[in-house]
Amino acid sequence: MNISLLDILDALPVGCIVLDPHRRVRTLNAAMESLLGYARDEVAGLPCRHVLRSRRCIQNCPHASDGAPSPGGRTDCLSRHRRIIPINLTPVRLTTDQGAVYLDIVEDLSPIHSLEARLNQTATEDSLVGRSPAMERILRLVPMVAGHSAPILITGETGTGKGRLAHAIHKASPRARQPFIRFSCGPMAEEILEAELFGKTAPAPQPGRFQQAQGGTLYLAEIESLPPSIQTRLLRFLDEGTIQPQGGHPMRVDVRLMASTMTDPATLAAAGRLCENLFHRLAAVRLDLPPLRERPEDVAFLLHYFREHFAQRLKKNISGFTPKALSMLHAHPFPGNVRELKNIMEFAVLVCPEGDVRPQHLPGYLLRQPQRRGRKE
Amino acid sequence: MERRILITTDRDEIAPRFDLAMEVLILRLAEGGEIVARKSLLLAHPSADELCNLILERDMDAVVCGGIEEEYSHYLRWKRVEVFDGVIGSVAAVIDRLRTGTLNPGDIVGFSGAPA
Repeated sequence: MNISLLDILDALPVGCIVLDPHRRVRTLNAAMESLLGYARDEVAGLPCRHVLRSRRCIQNCPHASDGAPSPGGRTDCLSRHRRIIPINLTPVRLTTDQGAVYLDIVEDLSPIHSLEARLNQTATEDSLVGRSPAMERILRLVPMVAGHSAPILITGETGTGKGRLAHAIHKASPRARQPFIRFSCGPMAEEILEAELFGKTAPAPQPGRFQQAQGGTLYLAEIESLPPSIQTRLLRFLDEGTIQPQGGHPMRVDVRLMASTMTDPATLAAAGRLCENLFHRLAAVRLDLPPLRERPEDVAFLLHYFREHFAQRLKKNISGFTPKALSMLHAHPFPGNVRELKNIMEFAVLVCPEGDVRPQHLPGYLLRQPQRRGRKE
Repeated sequence: MERRILITTDRDEIAPRFDLAMEVLILRLAEGGEIVARKSLLLAHPSADELCNLILERDMDAVVCGGIEEEYSHYLRWKRVEVFDGVIGSVAAVIDRLRTGTLNPGDIVGFSGAPA
């Protein structure tokens, strides 16, 4: 068996920095590279306080004395991506035939901090609402899929709340205290898109969305708009956990990927607009948000929910709907789904002086629709 | 045009962290890169907020520092202060780069093994 020390360190779930007796970095393990955003080759030979940037190391280095290292403990460090990370630092000193080797074992406490935050925070009712069996099923799934780091594919028509669902899963996950980065993959030059997603190193280092989402979640909307070369790089990230900034070296990132599409992904894959391998990797956890017309139970609930929400926000006393206004709203097919319903209610509460929402408080296009439907019927 | 630059320092190195820096060096560089004035300040205690105030009060054009939290970096940039962050190295090497206009964020300069 021929396993190097670095292979062993790379397999550890905690970060390790190996130092020489002058407290210069010899190497970092994979977990440390992911935590700090530095590749081991970039920082070899540098004083560790400039790499870890831990409060403890800067104010009172645990390896400063010649004897045993002073005890570590809770502190924080600052990553290359300008993020303060709570850590537990344990200094270790080993004596070998070739001399002393110093180690800093770094445990990322972000998950514990996020758990604390989650326990202090009520669930996700505010961000995702619905009372239909279809929505209740999805709401029940949120905490289950939130606990893992598997990629997620969310499908649904425009306005069904794909972004909100992604955010709700992030908020319920151990990554809740870390960034949630949303990126719309709309039409964009491939080079710009590449730099936006993966970052670039020249002329000045610029972190991409992956680096910004370090430790958290990256949500890519309209995934089918990505060109095939970028889709292949996403696949590589899902397989290896590494990305390569423009002009830079491959680097590890700890990011949970969520993606969404408005079109059936199997159709997209068949048409060649979505790389089949990427589709199958993303669809490990797939959530389909039904359109509002397929869950009429939610319409009444959402109308009252948003009426109360906007009345409270606009400080108005709006008590309900007249029967005619309500029947007009129920007759509307809501092609824009929940987003459209929400916009209609914002308009109605804004226009209605007080009391019940009447037909004349609804947007003009709704007033014209019943006649068209009447003619059809 | 003359430029006013604040460098967070830790003895003869760039301070590893902006929020923990206790010393700063304020430089005035002429357009050709000559040092017109140079002044060191010791701070009473480390504070990112107070450093930002100092930078704005003294009307600095640029800041050179090690790691800096995203919100402070954004704030300074929003106030039109150029931020060279993530710089690792000796103060002397960084000043050389500033004088020749070749310093970039994230540069590692002046340490053995790193390009000077």
